[in-house]
Amino acid sequence: MIRIENLHKRFGGLEVIRGIDLHVTPGEVVCIIGPSGSGKSTVLRCINRLEEITAGRIIVDGSDITDPKTNINQVRAEAGMVFQQFNLFPHMTVLQNVTLGPVKVRRMKRAAADTLGRELLAKVGLAEKTGSYPDQLSGGQKQRVAIARSLALQPKVMLFDEPTSALDPELVGEVLEVMKRLAAEGMTMVVVTHEMGFAREVADRVIFIDQGVIQEEGPPKAFFSNPRNPRLKDFLGRVVANL
Amino acid sequence: MGFKFQWGVVLETFPLLLSGVKLTIIITIGGLLFGFVLGVATGLMKLSRSLPVRSLAGAYVEAIRGTPLIVQVMFLYFGVPMAVGLRIRPMTAGIIAIAVNSGAYIAEIVRGAVQSIDPGQIEAGRSIGLTRAQTMRYIIWPQAFRRMIPPLGNQFIISLKDTSLLVVIGVAELTRVGQEIIAVNFRAFEVWLTVGIVYLMMTLTIARFLRMAEDRLAQRGKR
Repeated sequence: MIRIENLHKRFGGLEVIRGIDLHVTPGEVVCIIGPSGSGKSTVLRCINRLEEITAGRIIVDGSDITDPKTNINQVRAEAGMVFQQFNLFPHMTVLQNVTLGPVKVRRMKRAAADTLGRELLAKVGLAEKTGSYPDQLSGGQKQRVAIARSLALQPKVMLFDEPTSALDPELVGEVLEVMKRLAAEGMTMVVVTHEMGFAREVADRVIFIDQGVIQEEGPPKAFFSNPRNPRLKDFLGRVVANL
Repeated sequence: MGFKFQWGVVLETFPLLLSGVKLTIIITIGGLLFGFVLGVATGLMKLSRSLPVRSLAGAYVEAIRGTPLIVQVMFLYFGVPMAVGLRIRPMTAGIIAIAVNSGAYIAEIVRGAVQSIDPGQIEAGRSIGLTRAQTMRYIIWPQAFRRMIPPLGNQFIISLKDTSLLVVIGVAELTRVGQEIIAVNFRAFEVWLTVGIVYLMMTLTIARFLRMAEDRLAQRGKR
């Protein structure tokens, strides 16, 4: 579904990603963890070309996104993105936020898009909020709208960039719950997160990125109970100490 | 000296100013209409990815902002016809001058408002597959437009007052009519006071309309 080969990314003189290979298969849930500034969000943002890559190759659902002939808008519609800061459109109602993509990108009829939008909002538990504006919602509700907005394009893969990091602690659970259900339905997901509990419970594979490279990866059980890489040990030690 | 304020002159002057008010309003509306189109186009050009396009827009804005309006007006009315051998009517020159002048300031308002929108909004638009143009049209522009209203209101008021400078090319707008009345009755104090009050009534009207527009937009959707 996603194949990343020898990815490099440089911001000015700073090489943030220094050679990453990653292969995500359909239906797989991959969690990426690592200290801040390690490059984990950048990897995610490269996948739908919100960041231009410096070197390497990224193939999403069969399309080489670095190829100038690829229609990047089509690829982006296949890869839903959920942001840490939600980035809902404040001038639109919740339903309009969700239906904009289907109507403008998928050329869906307004009525069909509204039906789809209502279904998805019901699915994330916000059926009664269709007419509200984003600033009338809590953080957790905003993030669930953002998830519905991405799902409305019926993407093949969902990318989550620290989806719960901007939330008050008591609102984290409702968002993770929606993500768990998505995973259970077989959605391919790449999740950059600090929620170790979520990674342990939901991920098929956990990846630890530090200093721009993958330091360790594996199924969550072995990954968390028996980390080999000293940096990962150190990182997990600090994360647990903070809990 | 024995100056004695004459209420009668004020009352007589009001109706005589009406023809000037009419021209002032026509020039302001005409100038701002074209100025808005010019300003939006230039503002978007300043946000272009292409350096030549950005530079062109930048040169226009700097040239206008860096020279006095009165010089622009005289250049347009007395200078340009000499070079191209084509006379323009004072009224036309006035509208063009206000349009070109306000366009440069409106361009900066447009650019500033668009750039003030959180870049996350662009990313969110692009990430659902919208093109650059669609993201601009459906996501950035509607939010930016709301932020433009207060500074646009300012510019409307400034441009209305700027029309008084067209007195130098003989457009019979409000200020010019005031001058002509004084040439007949010599009551400078009363006439200029009345002219000032008429300008104030017009600018206060604009300010009120803009406040209404702001309130309307604030009601649907916040921020």
